[in-house]
Amino acid sequence: MSAGYAELHCLSNFSFQRGASSAKELFERAKLHGYQALAITDECTLAGIVRAWQAAKECELPLIIGSEITVENGPKIVLLVENLAGYQALCRLITQGRRRSKKGEYRLLHEDFQQPVAGLLALWLPDLDQDIPTRREQGNWLRGIFQQNLWLSVELHCGPDDRKRLNTLLGMARAMAIPAVASGDVHMHARGRRALQDTMSAVRHHTTVAEAGHRLFANGERHLRPLSVLSEVYPASLLIETLNIARRCTFDLSELRYEYPHELVPPDQSPSSWLRHLTEQGASCRWPHGVPEVARSNIEKELKVIAAKRYESYFLTVHDIVSFAREQHILCQGRGSAANSTVCFALGITELDPSKSNLLFERFISEERDEPPDIDVDFEHERREEVLQYVFRRYGRGRAALTAVASTYHGAGAVRDVARVLGLPPDQINALADCFSRWSDSMPPAERLRECGFEPDSPILRRVLTLTGELIGFPRHLSQHPGGFVISEHPLETLVPVENAAMADRTIIQWDKDDLDLVGLLKVDILALGMLSALRRTFDLVRGYRGYDLTLATIPAEDKPTYDMISRADTIGVFQIESRAQMSMLPRLKPSTFYDLVIEVAIVRPGPIQGGMVHPYLRRKNGEEAVTYPSEELKVVFERTLGVPLFQEQVMQLAIVAADYSPGEADQLRRSMAAWKRHGGLEPHRIRLSERMKEKGYPDEFIQRIFEQIKGFGSYGFPESHAASFALLTYASCWLKCHEPAAFTCALINSWPMGFYSPDQLLQDARRHQIDVHPVDVRYSDWDCSLEPVAGREYNQNLAIRMGLRMIRGFREEDARRIEQARGIRDFKDVADLCIRAELDNRARAALADSGALRGLVGHRHRARWEIAGVEMQRPLFGDDCFGEEAQVALPLPSVAQDLAADYDTLGTTLGPHPLALLRHKLAAKRFRSSKDLLDEEHGRSFSVAGLVVGRQRPGTASGVTFVTLEDEHGMINVVVWRDLAERQRKVLVGSQLMQVFGKFEFQKGVRHIIAQRLFDLTPMLTGLDVRSRDFK
Amino acid sequence: MLWACVLLPQLALDGVMRRRENPEEPLALISGTAQRRVLQTVNPAARAMGLRAGQSLTAAHAMTREFATVEYDPDETERWHRLLAAWAYRFSSHVSLKYPRVLLMEVESSFGLFGPWPVFEALLRQELTELGFTHRIVAAPNPLAARMLANAHDGLAVCDGDSLHEVLAEMPVNRIGLPTEVATSLARMGLHRVRQVQALPRDTLARRFPAAVLQHLDTLFGRRPMGLECYVPPDRFDTRIELNFDVESHQALLFPLKRMIADLAVFLAGRDSGVQRFVIHLEHVPSVGSVAPDTQIPVGLLSAEREANMLFELARGRLEQVEVPSPVRALRLQAKDLPAFVPTHRELFDDRPQQTMPWEQLRERLRARLGDEAVAGLGFNADHRPEHASLPASPSKPLALTHKVPRPGWLLPEPELLTEPGLRVLAGPERIESGWWDGGDVRRDYYLVETRNGQRGWAYRSVGDSSLLLHGWFA
Repeated sequence: MSAGYAELHCLSNFSFQRGASSAKELFERAKLHGYQALAITDECTLAGIVRAWQAAKECELPLIIGSEITVENGPKIVLLVENLAGYQALCRLITQGRRRSKKGEYRLLHEDFQQPVAGLLALWLPDLDQDIPTRREQGNWLRGIFQQNLWLSVELHCGPDDRKRLNTLLGMARAMAIPAVASGDVHMHARGRRALQDTMSAVRHHTTVAEAGHRLFANGERHLRPLSVLSEVYPASLLIETLNIARRCTFDLSELRYEYPHELVPPDQSPSSWLRHLTEQGASCRWPHGVPEVARSNIEKELKVIAAKRYESYFLTVHDIVSFAREQHILCQGRGSAANSTVCFALGITELDPSKSNLLFERFISEERDEPPDIDVDFEHERREEVLQYVFRRYGRGRAALTAVASTYHGAGAVRDVARVLGLPPDQINALADCFSRWSDSMPPAERLRECGFEPDSPILRRVLTLTGELIGFPRHLSQHPGGFVISEHPLETLVPVENAAMADRTIIQWDKDDLDLVGLLKVDILALGMLSALRRTFDLVRGYRGYDLTLATIPAEDKPTYDMISRADTIGVFQIESRAQMSMLPRLKPSTFYDLVIEVAIVRPGPIQGGMVHPYLRRKNGEEAVTYPSEELKVVFERTLGVPLFQEQVMQLAIVAADYSPGEADQLRRSMAAWKRHGGLEPHRIRLSERMKEKGYPDEFIQRIFEQIKGFGSYGFPESHAASFALLTYASCWLKCHEPAAFTCALINSWPMGFYSPDQLLQDARRHQIDVHPVDVRYSDWDCSLEPVAGREYNQNLAIRMGLRMIRGFREEDARRIEQARGIRDFKDVADLCIRAELDNRARAALADSGALRGLVGHRHRARWEIAGVEMQRPLFGDDCFGEEAQVALPLPSVAQDLAADYDTLGTTLGPHPLALLRHKLAAKRFRSSKDLLDEEHGRSFSVAGLVVGRQRPGTASGVTFVTLEDEHGMINVVVWRDLAERQRKVLVGSQLMQVFGKFEFQKGVRHIIAQRLFDLTPMLTGLDVRSRDFK
Repeated sequence: MLWACVLLPQLALDGVMRRRENPEEPLALISGTAQRRVLQTVNPAARAMGLRAGQSLTAAHAMTREFATVEYDPDETERWHRLLAAWAYRFSSHVSLKYPRVLLMEVESSFGLFGPWPVFEALLRQELTELGFTHRIVAAPNPLAARMLANAHDGLAVCDGDSLHEVLAEMPVNRIGLPTEVATSLARMGLHRVRQVQALPRDTLARRFPAAVLQHLDTLFGRRPMGLECYVPPDRFDTRIELNFDVESHQALLFPLKRMIADLAVFLAGRDSGVQRFVIHLEHVPSVGSVAPDTQIPVGLLSAEREANMLFELARGRLEQVEVPSPVRALRLQAKDLPAFVPTHRELFDDRPQQTMPWEQLRERLRARLGDEAVAGLGFNADHRPEHASLPASPSKPLALTHKVPRPGWLLPEPELLTEPGLRVLAGPERIESGWWDGGDVRRDYYLVETRNGQRGWAYRSVGDSSLLLHGWFA
């Protein structure tokens, strides 16, 4: 009987492309074999250690934290953490090694070990291929550093002559007086992962398995071997020594203490008193005439909860960042569970007054629940970098870093890597990857593979698919979170190693947000949002041209004309509810209050759609179905959504009310929802929910639907707390579109690229709303689009949009700025004056001429191009130019079609006739309907329409339906193409720019579309036009 | 002078199509990076399915999978270009390869031999059609005009300056070989025809465009001469005969081989050189989805020779030893080593002993006598499986042993059951588990054993099997 064993050298799959098992698999197997402890020693990283810690807790097997490191020009060692000091020393070493090299690599030098390494135990892994003096030198160096905390590790894997190897190593240990210990260099939990391990090695070496040769291990011994095997391989003394080491390594991650930055609180204040002070200050700004009763009591309640949970510093940190943004005039808006609080409103973190929005703070944060507060702040997308750099500057790189994201293998990526290292040709690799849907992790069905010409039962494909299945979900590399910051009072490297991100000037910690949650670190999300840029620009324009100040908070609330516009689905360009799916919902939902918008924002999402909740809600909202509740006790939960579960929060509450979950368990459910695709783990909840709900008499069908919805939330969880913040931006953008349409459109274009529509579509929409649009003209245009007053028109039509030079394809901002400047001094006399004073090179001149921007100076495009080609850059030294006056030459006038083509070519839009207007007489002759005709057509008739294909979408939630959007001179036509037609006419569907659709017209509840029966490609009619379609996004 | 321009619009495709059985089968030539594969050219059948040059392969596959693909090979296209130059050389001594996919040739001087232009042109077209190359032919008084007119015309013959002027005037400005930015500029000024440009005062053009533009126009109209580099037949021999049927026997290969070698001999005589080494390629019938590598038969001589019979006999000797692995579609003969021919003469005092010969010669002789398979070196392949680790390899490339593990020098072709009593295990087990990827997964425990009479062997047990198999002997 063996004495027991602790594995001290084991890699998980966070040693990317090396370890072939997850920590969970490793711990389960180690437990099964009766190991006494398991060290996870990923190579120079702690990125996987929190997961290992979690797995260790689940398996009730002690975790030893460590890392395998190869010192540059030095030995390979395994460092094991004995205590907190050792943990911090390890974090510091890893940080040094990582910060010194580019992403994904490390360099640790001998001198890095001159700092204290107390609390770290080292196992030396001598390389027997090296000569004896080198080995001796390394051993002596290590002993000098680690002294009594150094072991010589003996690893035997059925090599050519293990007995000799053992004797050599023991001999070395004796000679150098270093104790020997056994370890396993474990790369996988079981031998069965040998193929995967080989595959990953080949991926790492950028080769195929067949060519990887000796870079693969000779056998599969590097797994967790049963004790009986180990005791045959190793002398008992070496095994016993593992236990001696394991007993010393008692450090646990729960010993980490995280502290918020202290500097946000003045010396004479406590975090608590300072937060109260700032809140009071903010409240008196928000409510200059006295804080209302409700708000006052909310503030008191919230501050109490915050104090009880000791979250003050978190709110202070966010407040500090938001204040910076405000000083810089960067628009921002918070969202998330804690963001919808009166305190956050007072602090300016959110512009959403919770008292106005039917939102209760306790719904999001409560004393019982152990859920960390969650505040994401969105900033203007073009200026977020300023905020990021502020945080780095304010706290220093040592104390602030971005969160990591462990990018995992998805189906297509996994199959690509596997197929490549198994030597499949590139064409087949692409074809195979196509069989996997983009982000899905499920394996394609056999029929799908056969369709693509693969034989799923062939040995090679079986190998590819099996390995792909194993690889899916494995972490692949660390990348940076878009904006999750961790900020700490003490240097971060005392908590977690920090490494370089791929982008310059960014550092990331090695943990992702789930890891942070588990260890109790809090993060602030600093995200980028295009709509905020557009809104800020609109506010600026309104201030400049209308002379009044708007903010998100002061936009008049509950404005009827705005809701009327929304209910007409007249929402091109606004936030969130501008997509086609959203627009088709609006006339049915007819939002008339802010809370309706919250629902609208949340309802067209996979959760409610997969749960089949959309139609019941619509029916109830329109009074076609009675509002009932599954039970009286659930009325509280579902009242605000008419008895239909729509939000993630409601599902959690339902679990509490209907299935007796504790708040803590409900939080578990929330985590499982977010992670079930990756880790599974929903099954216990399903059983528990359905059993308890059945006991309480809920119908099976209801339970089933709730569960489908839970799964839907998993992929794209969209909680009410976020929907509410988004709805505020939606409302603001709609209000501006309704009341300041010119300024709003102008700002959208100036913030482009963002949103769903191109500048062309936005301008067309503006013109349909009787907004004048003036062409690009060097005499008036700035870089950005601007506004010009129009006399004698109604208020919301009395500003025209002047197209900016930014709309000219390939035109550079610096050229535009020089034009603005030169024009500011005096108007341009002629093109020569323009070219010379604004220092325009040939490229810039040509772009101006071709876009028609010179029309005011020289006339049509052809003339403009001719004239600027003749401008000499150098003013002649004496008087006139050396070529003298040249004879005026005759140039042909551009035709309407040529102008149209040039407009699209250079500006992507035209102020002249729409291409379809030019073709209309031909189309009308064939009795095609235009989008305007559709307004008068009857439901159920069949006819043809034609238009430019401006959108093709195949949403994952719509089971193979393709939505095509056609544009003509009057507007958009929505076309639905069912799957079988799409497959039969794929060529036309994918290839047409101008498409004719014959089909049946449907018109229900304000929504119009054509169900396509036959498609025709009319593109040849358009020769020369450049209209870019937005293909399957 | 009259210059003919033969434009070969789908040279690469035609080159590939010549090899293929069914011209009606949709075919696309593929190029681009591994990440983004693009259709380089498509044949008419493929075009009819909606495939277009420039499309990405993924996009094409999204439309249909019913088409064959062949990797686009620019080198091969270049070879066809040169082959056709050699063909054109028969008709004119002034042939130029200045433009890709184009043969420019002066033809007026050859009217005496091939008849007046219409007859001559018909002859060219007939031969090109027989060779299987799509073409457009235009004749004009200067080579540049011929080249540019071919962009828009086929079968046009312009013999005098006035007609040339007329025809050129109607050409679109973007088809006359001007740099793209110039053509774009002109088009953006509304000038789409050469006529419009010609009508403009010369100084206004000179002011707006680089001098090269006016020069180009002058050359085009024949107001400036054009320097052309003439094609010179190559100094190496490379010929290829495509067989009309798939050949599997040596016998059937001998006739075309003899023809090729006769051509070689004529070629050698023409440039007064000999050949010391040439290579016969047997190009095999491509199997579905893959192209079998050529069988290459090098023929080496001790000294440069050019006598047809002798060369043929040598080549035949080598050919007959070769096992033809799969049907042959084409034969190719390449000779690069063409030293000056020096008739054999014997030194009066030749003191080299007859028996000694350099290793390479001995090796060649052994291989010629015994066959290529019989003489092989030992190569090392990085594979943990012993039977894959050492392979017969070309002896010309010595390989270092990279993996430092003890392995027997003599590996048995098939492991044998080792039943000898009294074996002593010296080391082991060494476990080898590898090779799952090609279906040859092994799981074995190897032992270094010593027999009673002191031989050291290498033997294994497969995991889960008790019998001991001898796999090799240590020297």
